Amino acid sequence: MPKLTINGQEIEVEPGTTIIQAAQVAGIEIPHYCYHPDLPVDGNCRMCLVEVERMPKLAISCATLATEGMVVHTNNDRVKESVRGVLEFLLVNHPVDCPVCDQAGECRLQDYYMVYGLHTSEIPLEMKVRKQKVVDLGPMVVLDQERCVLCSRCIRFFDHVTHTGEMQFFGRGDHVAIGTFENRPLDNPYSGNVVDICPVGALTSRDFRFKCRVWFLNSTDSVCGGCSTGCSMRIDHRDGTVFRLLPRRNPEVNKSWLCDEGRMSFHELAAGERVRRPMIKGRDGMQAPVVWEEAVRSVDSKLKEIRDNHGAGSILGFASPSATNEALFLFKQYMAGQVGVTRFEFRADSEDKSVTEQEDNILRRVDKHPNSMGAIKLGLVSKEFGGIEGAIESAREGKLRAGVIIYFKPLVRRPTDEEAESRVAELIRAVEYSVVLAAHKTDWLAEASVVLPVTAWSEENGSYTNYQGRVQLARRAVTPAGDMRPVWQVFALLLAVSGADISWSTAADVFESLTETEPAYRGITYDEARLPGALVADI
Amino acid sequence: MIQFNEEAMRQYQAILKRYPEKRPALIPVLILAQKEFGWISQEVAEYVGSLMGYPASDVLSVATFYTMLRKKPVGKYHMEICRNVSCWLMGTYPCVDEIKRRLGVEAEEITEDGKFSWNLTECLGSCGTAPAMQVGDRYYENLTPESVGEIIEKLAND
Amino acid sequence: MIKTLLMNIDEPDQVEIGRVRERGGYAALEKALRMEPAALIEEVKASGLRGRGGAGFPTGMKWSFVPKNSDKPTYLLCNADESEPGTFKDRKLMECDPHLLIEGMAIACYALDCHLSYIYLRGEFEFIAHTLQKALDEAYEAGILGPSVCGRDYALDIYLHLGQGAYICGEETSLIESLEGNRGYPRIKPPFPATHGFLASPTVVNNVETLCALPWIIANGSAAYAAMGTEKSKGTKLFSVSGHVAKPGVYEVEMGYPLMDFINNESGGVPNGRKLKAVIPGGSSVPVLRAEECEGVLLDYESLLKAGSMLGSGGMIVFDETVRMPEALSVIADFYAHESCGQCTPCREGTGWAAKILRNLIAGKGKRPDIDLLLKIADMMEGKTICPLADADVMPIRSFITKFRSEFEELCSN
Repeated sequence: MPKLTINGQEIEVEPGTTIIQAAQVAGIEIPHYCYHPDLPVDGNCRMCLVEVERMPKLAISCATLATEGMVVHTNNDRVKESVRGVLEFLLVNHPVDCPVCDQAGECRLQDYYMVYGLHTSEIPLEMKVRKQKVVDLGPMVVLDQERCVLCSRCIRFFDHVTHTGEMQFFGRGDHVAIGTFENRPLDNPYSGNVVDICPVGALTSRDFRFKCRVWFLNSTDSVCGGCSTGCSMRIDHRDGTVFRLLPRRNPEVNKSWLCDEGRMSFHELAAGERVRRPMIKGRDGMQAPVVWEEAVRSVDSKLKEIRDNHGAGSILGFASPSATNEALFLFKQYMAGQVGVTRFEFRADSEDKSVTEQEDNILRRVDKHPNSMGAIKLGLVSKEFGGIEGAIESAREGKLRAGVIIYFKPLVRRPTDEEAESRVAELIRAVEYSVVLAAHKTDWLAEASVVLPVTAWSEENGSYTNYQGRVQLARRAVTPAGDMRPVWQVFALLLAVSGADISWSTAADVFESLTETEPAYRGITYDEARLPGALVADI
Repeated sequence: MIQFNEEAMRQYQAILKRYPEKRPALIPVLILAQKEFGWISQEVAEYVGSLMGYPASDVLSVATFYTMLRKKPVGKYHMEICRNVSCWLMGTYPCVDEIKRRLGVEAEEITEDGKFSWNLTECLGSCGTAPAMQVGDRYYENLTPESVGEIIEKLAND
Repeated sequence: MIKTLLMNIDEPDQVEIGRVRERGGYAALEKALRMEPAALIEEVKASGLRGRGGAGFPTGMKWSFVPKNSDKPTYLLCNADESEPGTFKDRKLMECDPHLLIEGMAIACYALDCHLSYIYLRGEFEFIAHTLQKALDEAYEAGILGPSVCGRDYALDIYLHLGQGAYICGEETSLIESLEGNRGYPRIKPPFPATHGFLASPTVVNNVETLCALPWIIANGSAAYAAMGTEKSKGTKLFSVSGHVAKPGVYEVEMGYPLMDFINNESGGVPNGRKLKAVIPGGSSVPVLRAEECEGVLLDYESLLKAGSMLGSGGMIVFDETVRMPEALSVIADFYAHESCGQCTPCREGTGWAAKILRNLIAGKGKRPDIDLLLKIADMMEGKTICPLADADVMPIRSFITKFRSEFEELCSN
């Protein structure tokens, strides 16, 4: 383990660590453009030059290995002058169009200029090399070649992560520009990542650009709800509206990447009308709004009545693989613990089989639900029925009379969704009494006996267990308008009404109960579940 | 759709045999393609890419790095006159003036009959026989405005 | 004076293998093949031969960095991308004595246990490619190349590979990238080509002149070679001289030969009764010397360094009193801006910026602070780039301005 000194601070690092990484460990930031922890080192930007004692020239910290006894300076005058010089060079041909640039506020040129530059740039516009602006690169990306610092991060992303090579350098010298062949659109399900890794305003998001200046946004840590991979992400929002989703680096799950569908999944959440108030179907067969207390009392007593008349075996608990672990846990606590239900299911399709199946060899998985593994680990799956079709069959035979159903539409759509949704509708029609917890309105919801409005992904605190069995926390970013509650709270209410001797005031409380109760989750702490997430036991 | 003729295909196969892997053959194949098709158009880049199994963007990226791989058509005789130090010292520009006067076109333009185009180029390695120019695979050296005129006349009658 | 490179250069039939062999060609290769490769490397080390491409790194030492018993093949690449302005020595060797190069390459390959080798020839030299290819064909036919070199249990193939117009490809890692079919972007070192070169295999890149020096060294012994020249600069060296001299051309002199003698004798002096103003002794990238600085300077690595310049490639450009130095610098700066590969920031932006400022100055649109800005740009580029191209721009910028500042100031309006 080599020990080195950076700015007088002694650090011990793993062999093979570069200076820039060692500095990061020590909390020392070295300015850079081309270095990226999840891409091969390229060393082209020369921003990360540092002084290493006994080396005649400044060395690039991204490509220089930390060695025993090395003495590094990252902030002396010689290094600062070098960084300032590189920055001045980068602005020679830059259009300096910050007022109309959407990168403003998160631009490394701006940021470093404030720290290292502050020089007056007097290069007349006619002396600058002109390149293409506002090049349409498909649904995700807009290119401005003049703002590019030619760091090659985007090129390396397509060369080394997706292996598709769409973006390249063209030309030579100060006429080098990045681009695609004939400006063709990026036909790549991961193209949005190049916007994130572009350190400047060269690649901006077609979806997000000019929607909001970034300094007005709030950021909330979350986990993608788009599939069972469960990529760590960040929700950027303002005044209850989500503006964009960005990856949070998680070396164990998604590195620094997100797929485009996951990135755009918040639009699906915003699409469609929400269920805003609890509703109970009256004798006339029409649903009418009720207050929560009335709704849960009614549900609790009706379920127990059916149980008493027909046995617990006549009630099905149908969970959603898009609900949080906390929701599924209290669902199980109430249904099994209070009502005595033994029949559970969560599969509207083949979620249990596709949960680990890859859709491609980068991130995407076939199962478009974030918590199928959570449902499996909590045992919310019944061998008896063999999926929803078995349950429908059982209801038609009169063996099943009631169902408590949690339903969330998938945030990443596939052609099979409609069929899966129609099965849920069929199940509701097939039972005498149905309680549906839902976020979005659907035609068939009108047929349910009780509809309970719930918050969805991004609107509640909770955890999800991904395909690896990794529990990760997601935070509430926004609050929808209406009388919705998180699913866990609905069951907490039912548990209270039913007379359970335990209560929970936050999702964190529920998580603690979960880890105390469920063997697979035993011992996992809230902190561990933050990043990179904690693996559940293989039970 | 462009493609190599039989003879070019035979040469393509011969190029591949000279290298232990496929990729090093890319630039020789681009040279061959330029000989066949005149210049490296986007169509040519796409064809070479599909022939060798590389993205067209990759092929074009390589081609745009090298000045001899042309990104636009040139005349049958493309005259490239060295503008570097020794040639400049020995009189590049009087020769350039003569070329412009005779051909009536600016750099990178093609004469109406498609026969000539010209451009300035960097050091040709003819510093001792300056000024010099390259036309195809031939060097013309120790140029004077008079000799440039003679060369153009000779090529025009070719 | 002994000639180790140009001994047969004036023989018009030296391109024919039969005549080459009558004059003793390939005898050194036969001798080398009877030696152990390790002994050959030692012999080259002992000769003191240094790389003739410009950097002057000891050739034998470069060879010794190649790992023994690597599971990958070793490649020898001949750098024939001669493109440094003022330099045309390799061209002379290849045009007039192609078999000397093939013999030198075969000796080097045998010493390095290399069985596949390429000549990376700049694309503009296509006419030389014809000469070289004919010589290679002859060598194959004569059994000098192919499965059994000179009848020995040693196989060697040499192929020609044409560049396509990029000065940077003369830099060895850029040459390797280009040979691999990529944009000629220089690589970050380490790893060095000796371990990770062409196709990630051990690779030696040697200049044409370096390789051409080998036959003489092997034939006559390292001691004879090392006896020539100075203490640290051994042997003989080719200088290509151009510009304002009566007899421009390629001349071979012993290292340590006086610079002024070379200009006045070999090169025939400055013609038309004009006075010498300045000399770029080693290709456009080395610092210019004023006429008075040339007095007493010897043509060897150390003496030129001491005089404030460098031996470089030996591409000497002579300026007479009529030359306007800012214009000359502008021509040079345009070249480096045009040839910057564009990979790393300081070179990409700095070379272009400097060239534009100089063009402005020449056009009478410059201001005095521009002169200091040029020097500042030189400081900002120097030593901060992946390869030496930016430094090759820095040296002329700095030396031209500091040595001929008044000429730059005269161009400025205020």
